[in-house]
Amino acid sequence: MFEYAVNMNKNAVNEKKISRREFLGITKAAAISGIIAAGIAGGAAGYLARVPEEVEVTRTVTYTLPVKELKPIKVGYVYVGPVGDYGWSYGHDRGRRWADERFKNVESYYIESVPEPEVTPAIENLVAKGCELIITTSFGFMDATADAAKKYSDRYFVHISGYRSGAAGNAPQNMSAAFAEFYQLYYLCGLAAGAITQTGVIGYVAAYPIPEVVRHINAYVLGAQYTYKKRTGKDVKAHVTWIFNWVAPEQARLAASALIDDKNCDVVNYTEDTPAVLMVAEDYQKKGKKVWSFSHYSDMREYGPTAHLTGPVANWGPIYLDFYKMVATKTWQSVDIWARVGDYIPWRWRRPVEKSTVGKEEGTVYLLPMNPVIPDEYVSLIKQRYEEMKELLFEPFSVEGHDPDGKRPIRDQDGDVKIGFGERADRNMLWSMDWLVEYVEEPLPK
Amino acid sequence: MSIEWIGPVLASTTSIGVVYLLGSLGEIYAERSGILNLGMEGTMAIGAATSFIFTITWGHTIAFLLAGVFGMLMGLLLAFFAVSLRLNQITVGLAITMLGLGLSGFITFPTIRKTVLQTLNPELPSTALETQSVPMLPPVSLSFLKEIPIIGPMLFNHNIVVYITLILAPLMWFLLFRTSIGLKIRSVGENPGMADALGINVFRIRYLTCILSGAFSALAGAYLILGFQPFWIEGMTGGRGFITLSLIILSTWNPLRAVFGSLLFGGIEVLQYRLQLFGLGATSPQFVLMLPYAIAVITLSLLSLESFRKKMSAPATLAKPYYREE
Repeated sequence: MFEYAVNMNKNAVNEKKISRREFLGITKAAAISGIIAAGIAGGAAGYLARVPEEVEVTRTVTYTLPVKELKPIKVGYVYVGPVGDYGWSYGHDRGRRWADERFKNVESYYIESVPEPEVTPAIENLVAKGCELIITTSFGFMDATADAAKKYSDRYFVHISGYRSGAAGNAPQNMSAAFAEFYQLYYLCGLAAGAITQTGVIGYVAAYPIPEVVRHINAYVLGAQYTYKKRTGKDVKAHVTWIFNWVAPEQARLAASALIDDKNCDVVNYTEDTPAVLMVAEDYQKKGKKVWSFSHYSDMREYGPTAHLTGPVANWGPIYLDFYKMVATKTWQSVDIWARVGDYIPWRWRRPVEKSTVGKEEGTVYLLPMNPVIPDEYVSLIKQRYEEMKELLFEPFSVEGHDPDGKRPIRDQDGDVKIGFGERADRNMLWSMDWLVEYVEEPLPK
Repeated sequence: MSIEWIGPVLASTTSIGVVYLLGSLGEIYAERSGILNLGMEGTMAIGAATSFIFTITWGHTIAFLLAGVFGMLMGLLLAFFAVSLRLNQITVGLAITMLGLGLSGFITFPTIRKTVLQTLNPELPSTALETQSVPMLPPVSLSFLKEIPIIGPMLFNHNIVVYITLILAPLMWFLLFRTSIGLKIRSVGENPGMADALGINVFRIRYLTCILSGAFSALAGAYLILGFQPFWIEGMTGGRGFITLSLIILSTWNPLRAVFGSLLFGGIEVLQYRLQLFGLGATSPQFVLMLPYAIAVITLSLLSLESFRKKMSAPATLAKPYYREE
């Protein structure tokens, strides 16, 4: 079309028969197609970005017999967001690179910024590329992944953050589910918050009222209640604002300021994929007001060097590496993995407090180094709990995680006992949590 | 409940309201001359992206100027298609928005961003190549005025761009309604044929207002990242370009009323979260969060009604191309 328009322009010049109006019409056509093409190029660039991995195969040949070399496995990833962001998809891409680096004999591909309705064509694309293992990394991709697993029974599928897998019995056997779960680490962040708050009021900027976010809020508030009660004998107060967005730094910023200015919160945690809340806390620190915050999903210390207390970080790499190995060695087994503290680490035993590995990169979920402003007594407590959780000896959602005297059951906002003496939260309660603990002042949006 | 909460609310309201005000000042001129710039959203994104990059390389002042220049180029693009080629302004505007959002998204890729930054300024330290945040514009507090209760923090503890914008609004109003150039711009929007007959160069005026609108949109984007929220993410404009368009309609194409309109929309944005904490709409905060977008959709749809346009005294040839021969 463009070529046609250009040719016609030439005619206009050569023959001088074409009128000005006609010329405008033709140029219009060229212009429209040009601008639309540019727009599409801009918007759609990166839809299919293949990153050729440098496959390093170091061989030391010590025999003369010809040996058939192992074919590299092909793995495809489908991301919901752009990899350049500071959050979810970036974390998965880091996991991909981590696994590739260690496995070596692998070719991996990814498709980023895939909207949920378009996941099926994205999977088909990866199947056509010959990927044996396909990993989809958003909750909304679950059903499409299960359908694809049914259709392509010779390929393997892993879905992140869902509940359908062959192991669970609600998907074909060539599909697994996996998740890196943070609630234990949010509890540890809460312990730090309760240890440091001066106002006794803590805040949380929350994304969506779904069970995952709700259990993170509850774990955080329970931890803060434990240490604050121990320190002062009083109950902590917690405030939550909802922004209904995963990535919205300006909204998180306004919501965090609201918590700090209006409700006097001095430790603010959040579920939002940018360091915006941490940056707000840092601004207040610069103005001389002690406000603290955390990292979320990746190390964000550079955005709030003073205000940063600690933070939960996920490394999806070990989970992916595990699946690579299963596919390459043909030992696939459908699994439903919920990686928590202590999973995927080489030595899964608790260490004494003085030898605790808190703050070191290990396993799939771990805690960042703690700010030295947290009193030593509570640093030891955090280390102790972290180590105990490696063996699942300690569960945040239990009376001993909630009350330092071990006397008070966990109640929801209506005062109903949710977890009584001798009980701990089980899978079903954690997976479908739809209540907030009594210390949160705002209701849960319906 | 004490009265103290008003201070920070008003300060944040002004801070975010300036994004809308800066965008609307240029766009009011464009619409007064008959150009509907639906490309605002994309131009804002370009402004935010370029100022993010140029602040890291060369600092705030140059970043603001260059963001303005890039905005002018976007405006020029619009002018070429909408004024010279007389294309449908809505189509062109939406295409420019797509173009701007897509192009600005490129710097989200760490490798691309790194290459761009290194090409522009090879001496940058490695931390500057990787960060997604920029230093904010420093606040300039007017010491004694800041102490005035309520309006003190609202008006007198902001960065320089806020002051300049607030001073620009009455100046731009004066220029539009009290000078001959303003009269020319308005007459081009009301009756371009007549204006042309009187010797006003319709094309030149429309080109100028397009470029002006582009520049101001880009500056609004630049202010968004340098003055309000200093962390770059793709799509950080979040529909504010479209909200500005609806706010212009509500302020009946008048720069002075746009000041109040901007503060109104800024206030809604700030109050969304505060209201949740005061227990208003706490069980369904999503409805409050929807409010600015709902208002934008309603006003923009009303604009398509002839009777509404007459009532609001919309520029008569808004979004209509001008053919000299007819």
